[in-house]
Amino acid sequence: MNAPALSGEGVAPAAGAGELESGQMATKGSILEVADLGAAYGPFDALFDVTFAIGRGQAVALVGANGAGKSTVARVVTGLVPATGGRVIFDGEDITNRSAHDIANRGIAHLTEGRSVFATLTVEENLVLPFRRALGRKAVPRALGEAYERFPRLGERRGQSAGTLSGGEQRMLALARVLVLRQPLVVVDELSFGLAPVVVEEVYAALTQVLDAGTSLLIIEQHVERALELAHQVVVLTKGRVAYDGSVAAVRGRLGDLVLGRGNEMPESAGPAPDSPG
Amino acid sequence: MSQLLSFALPGVPYGCVFALMAVGLVLTYKASGVFNLAFGAQAFVSALTYVSLIDGGWPRWAAAVIAVLVIGPVVGILLDRLLFRRIRTASPLVTLVPSLGLLVALPQVAIMVVGSIPVIPPPALVGNAQRVYLHLGSVPVSGLELSVTGATLVVVAGLVALFRFTPVGLEMRAVVESPRLTELAGIDSSRIGLAAWILSSVLAGLAGVLLAPLYAQVDPQNFTVLLVWGIAGAVIGRFTSLPLALVGGLALGIGQQILAGYLPPGVVANGLRPSLPFFVLLIFLPLVGTSRATDPLAGCDPPTSAVERAVSGYRSGATAAAGGSWESLAGGAVTSVGVWHRRLDGAAPTPLADRFTRRPTATLALVVGVVAVISALTWVPPDWLFTMNQALAVSIIFLSLTLLTGMSGLISLCQATFAGLGGFVAGQLAVHFGLPVMIGVIAGGLLAALLGVVVAIPTLRLAGLSLALATLAFALLADNILFPVSWVGNGAGGVTVPRPSAGPISFAAAKPFFLLSLVVLGGAALVVKLVGDGTMGRYLAAVRGSELASSSVGIDVTRLRVLVFAISAGLAGVGGAMSGSLEGSLSPDAYGYQVSIVLLAVVAIVGIGSISGAIVAGVVYEVLQQAVTTLPARFAGLVAVLFGLAALSYTRHPEGFLDVLGGRAERVIERARNRRATARQGSGSVPPPTGGPVVAQAGGMS
Repeated sequence: MNAPALSGEGVAPAAGAGELESGQMATKGSILEVADLGAAYGPFDALFDVTFAIGRGQAVALVGANGAGKSTVARVVTGLVPATGGRVIFDGEDITNRSAHDIANRGIAHLTEGRSVFATLTVEENLVLPFRRALGRKAVPRALGEAYERFPRLGERRGQSAGTLSGGEQRMLALARVLVLRQPLVVVDELSFGLAPVVVEEVYAALTQVLDAGTSLLIIEQHVERALELAHQVVVLTKGRVAYDGSVAAVRGRLGDLVLGRGNEMPESAGPAPDSPG
Repeated sequence: MSQLLSFALPGVPYGCVFALMAVGLVLTYKASGVFNLAFGAQAFVSALTYVSLIDGGWPRWAAAVIAVLVIGPVVGILLDRLLFRRIRTASPLVTLVPSLGLLVALPQVAIMVVGSIPVIPPPALVGNAQRVYLHLGSVPVSGLELSVTGATLVVVAGLVALFRFTPVGLEMRAVVESPRLTELAGIDSSRIGLAAWILSSVLAGLAGVLLAPLYAQVDPQNFTVLLVWGIAGAVIGRFTSLPLALVGGLALGIGQQILAGYLPPGVVANGLRPSLPFFVLLIFLPLVGTSRATDPLAGCDPPTSAVERAVSGYRSGATAAAGGSWESLAGGAVTSVGVWHRRLDGAAPTPLADRFTRRPTATLALVVGVVAVISALTWVPPDWLFTMNQALAVSIIFLSLTLLTGMSGLISLCQATFAGLGGFVAGQLAVHFGLPVMIGVIAGGLLAALLGVVVAIPTLRLAGLSLALATLAFALLADNILFPVSWVGNGAGGVTVPRPSAGPISFAAAKPFFLLSLVVLGGAALVVKLVGDGTMGRYLAAVRGSELASSSVGIDVTRLRVLVFAISAGLAGVGGAMSGSLEGSLSPDAYGYQVSIVLLAVVAIVGIGSISGAIVAGVVYEVLQQAVTTLPARFAGLVAVLFGLAALSYTRHPEGFLDVLGGRAERVIERARNRRATARQGSGSVPPPTGGPVVAQAGGMS
């Protein structure tokens, strides 16, 4: 049991992002390995034996129909939903069913579906909150400066509550945190959901920056084509199971069928994502 | 103007304390997902500590520091660690019952620890409570008012500073919005939750110490009454906004004094002031969004639908129907219509005899029941027979909760009000109009049913916690407006209720009355069973699963809800009338809102999901109370303590201990049978008995 502490000072500072990055390079070259993962919401099983891996610096697109369990995979990886079976290995360490804050401090960021910033806090508070924890109090002003430099719009709105930002600005705010902290792995869940096409471009440009900075990505995206542009590898989920795991090139053309869980009887149609919003 | 001021000013200390309570309630509710009704008990514990220490010769400031900054947080930390942390995502009933239990039990435990409540008038924090220090205009300001207002201002300034300028304040605000997003930012939200609990407990302690001097003596009652005001303040803040809660509490405190000043004296006017929280709740509760609406990560919680999942006895049809894909939850809820049916009577078309051999516990229950009835009619001494009679009457009231909360998932904290009305009607009709008591019992039931409709209609939109709070406030309203009226509860005087007779047969003696009660209880049980087995029961199960899905398949949810409230209130009314007739007289105190709280908690703990649960609850409730009277006086609080412990264990067994025990017993018997069967087959190596520890466990349950 932790000693009850009212202030943040009493706690050992969390591992900084840089430290994590350099640690344990000895493992196979996967930043994340998921093996035989199972998960459930109460009595409802959501995942069955999900297995895949993400290489260092690589981007993996996780696609599937609505309710296939994409978000659940993301939530289990970052500790929001408990795993009922299997293992999650991050950077060579077993992090299965560790608490979400522990996993976050180890270096996995999770941009959740929908809003992933605190609407009631100001832009600056949204940044200060994770910065102070990850970098220590002294480094906060410099980190803020860096964030505002990358996204000047956020600097202009630093005193505004994040709930009043546009959807795109909210995504920028979430990405700013990731960019500054340089976390080794970022899980992005429906980053483009509800955004205007122009804004989607902007957000994806920022996400590309994140990838170029050496961060690995797990991308869940309804605009499958867009995710595939960025991804090195695709994992298709169907009803909570992995239906395909492999290269992007090999899957082109039959992705729609895989997602819908159909065999190969359909003519090829690489078309738009079957799980378009509705 | 000066008249208004003279009315308003005495309200300021009340307002300050209500504001502190409202802020404390909102803080824990948002940070830990639990609406902490035990807040009133926490305030009492600190007040008691404060007064006891002063009585023991401590200086006031030291006593206050111990009471507010030591005892308060310690109680809060214990509550968080031992209980509330584990139930954050549980259903409303599961989070409510433990806090109701603590509200009742905690003060008794504290009194037992201290020994007795000191008889000294509690002094104010600083200065002399009564002395007038200054005048505002022409209005005198006493030391009490000064110290309460001063302390509140300091606390509010401290809170503002904490939330605006400190890291932990920022983290707390983040947790209040979404504990999960906070976790994703790398912050241990349970640690912050604990900090919120500590802070809230300090506020509870402070409220207690500040309130104490308003009364001649510290008394747990006062603190529960005032808690309702705090709740109203929290509701004005929509359970989310701390500043609004603060303002709301303050406005209520001042408003009630102004109201009292301008209203003419009289029962209704006197009752109107204490009923203000009810009206506030009625107006503001529908404005309260669902608690998790603002948390973008609420989807991470497993689905909880009303009591559906809490009362696991009703094996959820949704589970089977959805077949692993929880998107079809709505469909499952509707499918569960058919499942309720199977549950209530085991398996619908099974012959009776078969059922008993299949469920040995049912046989056991039948034997115990028959033995109890024969004993009651033969050798049981009068005082215990009286207890058994009481058990029958209260079982009827418990049955009304089985129907309302168990089957329908509607949490009511005003069942005792319905019961009381039933009793008063029976008594009034018999005494003033000379009607037969049995007619009065029926009339009482009918009028209670009518009152049920009156409660159901304005609360149609409410569910879960909101409904519980609204009914609690209604109970308070009835206690203050309805029951003091001479032609209802007749205030402190109470109402005489004779024993019934039917023609030449008199039920005045205990044994005939026992038989009569048995028949009435049987009738009530039959009503509940018929409702449960019939179409209505299936509709209720569907609505419990999902109100929306039910109305989409054409179930008239509004009608159903009003109807079930009416039937339930009617049953409670009959139970109350029988109880009143047994006792001979009935005072409104016996059916105050605290009684409703205890009733709900008791039947939930024993088993709110079945008819047998209600009857066993009645027996346990009355027998324990009677048993304690045979013990030395200092064990008087024992029932409350047992009750509190049971309420704590309830979170682990929301289906009630009857189901747990029954399940265990059946497993043991099953295993013994299997063993015998194996032995008979002569397979040689009989596996080592594994039933031993289970028997021990089952025996150890309290």
